[in-house]
Amino acid sequence: MSTRDDDARVELLQGTLDLLILRTLQQSPAHGHEIMTSIRQSSDEVLQVEQGSLYPALHRLLKKGWIVFDHGTSENNRRAKYYRLTPKGRKQLAAEATKWEKLARAIARVLRPA
Amino acid sequence: MIPGRRLDDLDRDIRDHLERETQAYVERGMTEDEARYAARRAFGNVTLAMEETRAVWIPVWFDQLLQDVRYGLRMLRRAPGFSAVVILTLALGIGLNTAVFSVFDAVLLRPLPYPAADRLLSVSLYGAALPFGMEAVGSADVLRWREQATSSFEKLAAYDTSDQSVVTADSAEQARIAWVTDDLWDIAGARVKLGRLPHPGERDALLLSHEYFSRRFRGDANVVGSSVLAMGRQVTIIGVIAKGFLFELPGLQRQLVPAPVDGYRSMVISPGPRPASLLLNVVARLKPGATIARARAELEAVRAGIAQADPFPLADRSTLRVMPMQERIVGESRAALRVLLAAVIVVLLIASANIANLLLARASARQKEIAIRASMGAGGARLLRQFAVESGIIALAGGGAGVWFARAGLIWLERVNPLAIPRLAEASIDGRVLVFALSASVVTAILFGVGPALGLRRVNVHHTLKENGRLSPVPGHLLLRRILVAVEVALALILICGAGLMVKSVWRMRAHPDGFVPDQIVVMKMRLSGPGYATPLARRAYADEVLARLRTQPGVQAAGITTNVDALVRMLIEGEAPIPNDVRSPPAVFNATSAGFLPAMGLRLLKGRWITDSEPRPAVVINESAAQRALPGQDPIGKRLMLPTLNQPLPSPVPIVGVVADLKYSKLDARPEPEIYIPYVYAPTLTAFSVVARAGGDPAALTPSIRSAVAGIDKTLPVFGVMTLEQVLTASIAPRRFNLFLLGIFAGSALLLAVIGIYGVIAFSVAQRTHEIGVRLALGAQRRAVVGMVVWQCMAVVLGGIAVGVAGALALTRVMMGMLYDVAPTDPPTFAIVTGLLAATALAACAGPALKAALVDPVVALRCE
Repeated sequence: MSTRDDDARVELLQGTLDLLILRTLQQSPAHGHEIMTSIRQSSDEVLQVEQGSLYPALHRLLKKGWIVFDHGTSENNRRAKYYRLTPKGRKQLAAEATKWEKLARAIARVLRPA
Repeated sequence: MIPGRRLDDLDRDIRDHLERETQAYVERGMTEDEARYAARRAFGNVTLAMEETRAVWIPVWFDQLLQDVRYGLRMLRRAPGFSAVVILTLALGIGLNTAVFSVFDAVLLRPLPYPAADRLLSVSLYGAALPFGMEAVGSADVLRWREQATSSFEKLAAYDTSDQSVVTADSAEQARIAWVTDDLWDIAGARVKLGRLPHPGERDALLLSHEYFSRRFRGDANVVGSSVLAMGRQVTIIGVIAKGFLFELPGLQRQLVPAPVDGYRSMVISPGPRPASLLLNVVARLKPGATIARARAELEAVRAGIAQADPFPLADRSTLRVMPMQERIVGESRAALRVLLAAVIVVLLIASANIANLLLARASARQKEIAIRASMGAGGARLLRQFAVESGIIALAGGGAGVWFARAGLIWLERVNPLAIPRLAEASIDGRVLVFALSASVVTAILFGVGPALGLRRVNVHHTLKENGRLSPVPGHLLLRRILVAVEVALALILICGAGLMVKSVWRMRAHPDGFVPDQIVVMKMRLSGPGYATPLARRAYADEVLARLRTQPGVQAAGITTNVDALVRMLIEGEAPIPNDVRSPPAVFNATSAGFLPAMGLRLLKGRWITDSEPRPAVVINESAAQRALPGQDPIGKRLMLPTLNQPLPSPVPIVGVVADLKYSKLDARPEPEIYIPYVYAPTLTAFSVVARAGGDPAALTPSIRSAVAGIDKTLPVFGVMTLEQVLTASIAPRRFNLFLLGIFAGSALLLAVIGIYGVIAFSVAQRTHEIGVRLALGAQRRAVVGMVVWQCMAVVLGGIAVGVAGALALTRVMMGMLYDVAPTDPPTFAIVTGLLAATALAACAGPALKAALVDPVVALRCE
């Protein structure tokens, strides 16, 4: 929420966090911190997620039934919640991704007309 | 899935997350502390994140509401005295209002408990021929109306009630029997639990009320089909009416038939020898779409056709009254119920003022808390909602307790005074009443609970927090509170004046003349029925025997018998022509009495002599009212009245031998009626009479022995209605006592609430000024002067309220006119006493705080800075 000094980092648009979480979980189930790290790394550290907003987002997805969680044990033997996609979540991800790509292409066209 | 479960380990998840992040930073080469700080920074506001997460599952408003409720409950628990006073005040206001509203609703608003109740009409005749405001219809009219007035009416039924002895194989007992014609069953929608309804035209059939069936016949179903002796005739019990059936129809004396009716006897009106002599009540059901005006016109037309042929004097000297049955039954209660409802709303206003007052005081005391919350970021709306929730809790607690009070009060009222208001038995706390109670309490609590909070928004947070310990009053609050107390005093004064006027009315009614001591007079009723009393001689012999036994009864100072000989006669003086509707031939109550009646009753002889039991020929004594109406300005002694006597059914002249003073011995709140007394030995009929015995000592001790002495003469004749005359008179003003009782409770509550209000404001202001008073005392102020200051501060408010209240009462007590008796609505002594009482009570209320102010120790007061 506060503006960051680093111009290379971009704050997430409203609603895109949900999409990124779903995308991350498509590969494998993960716990909260792993999701965070994964988003950061796969965007080459460009996307900055305010970590606090991860948990409301996870619970939003749980409520919609797009993800569920199992209790598991993490690398250093700590109990953690492993979130994974449901079939409904998988469908949602596909739809959202298509929509997002369309949007991105459209914006790109507007910004850089051929 | 339960949202709570989902959220259970949220804080652990977040803690784990932070630890992992810290770990990641440590691995990148930070120190432990730096890493922890960086992780926190990266995460952002933990509390906010948790709240947002919770908000996914639980709507924010609900979550905050729960918080507010928890907080509100905690605040109420922290000040138990305050909470109890506020909740009880609200409970009192709501309880009284709920009880009165439920009566108002049952009596005036809800339709009668009969099918097509909106089409039920009461048809009656009234006028000079029927005194005591009696309303009735002759049976000849009933007969012809039923045959001829068919275009407006669907059904037309007649009924009457009487107390009759019902004799079974084992016992004789008096029962209240309603005689009803066939159509009544349909009109009243009656159903039987056992047996059947009478066939059209069936005579001598008796149906039992469910209650009488259980009480007298112990619910034995075999009783259906058996026969009993009622009023000397064999009647067959053909059924039992279903439970819950209410016979709530007006009787001949305008008030409702006194409940409960024990049995219903079929009545067949036939054009017999004396068709017009029966006085009946009529209830009719209009055809759908028919109007009252048309129905009335039709009845009038039928009457006009029969007026000439009808020998009964009712026909030409009475007016037809056709009105909705509901109006006939409850119309007379309306004015009083409205006054009561208005009065009880005033009590609620006073209670509200008190609640506002208490909450204002509390708001002042909570300035600091509010300031802290505001400085922590609570918005104005959030603070307001906190107050609203606290008020809501008070509303629910107070309203709930109030409904409980109302329910208990109603049950008690219905038990103690069931006949005070028609349909009272129907009043109950039902859904409508609950909605009323709930909305009244919520509106009251929110209005007066949130109001004070609005004042707090002006509080300067900075200023309040800086000021240590001592609280300055919220601007405007103290003035507002004083105005509220003055309003309370004014409203209470109006109510107490109203109650005072009613007390004086009852007192006036009970101002008995010397020598009339109703609580020493025992009365009981007898009815002579059965073949043994068919002749006048047999009836007289029985009366003689009763009198002989009473004379020898120890403890009886004087005893006599009296009877209303089939109601009324017109007073015609011999030699003067009767003039129709002339005030000089008014109807008079025709009594047959024994010589002992005068001393037993305490009747005062004004002129001439009283009658004896051995008059050689008929003689008559009249009362003052009769003398004034029939013979104004003349000496009645020696004049002769045209009266029917024994063996002389046609009026013949009877000399007036004496005049007695008027005495109200049957109905306290009625004007005295003209009365005529003839010796019982010359009574044209003597089928029922009352025994009147004056006790030397305790009448309760005398009652059983008189009862058994009289009952011993003939075991088949039950003695009933055994009461002291005091009880009879008290019952005669039951509606007034009911009104007085309720208004008294309202006035008492108002006074109590006003006293609490006065005390609260003064005590609070003294507490706030402790420091100032300490300074004054330290500087040499007299303690007496401090007391004077506090008392004056208090009485200024009270006197202001009293001034407004007196003006209000002068303007408003007029609406009570119909509830008063022999008292002007602006009776100065009543107003003076009430004002004095209120001022004295107020003075007592501020004495405590004043004393406390005087006892302030300057050293302590100044040190508590």
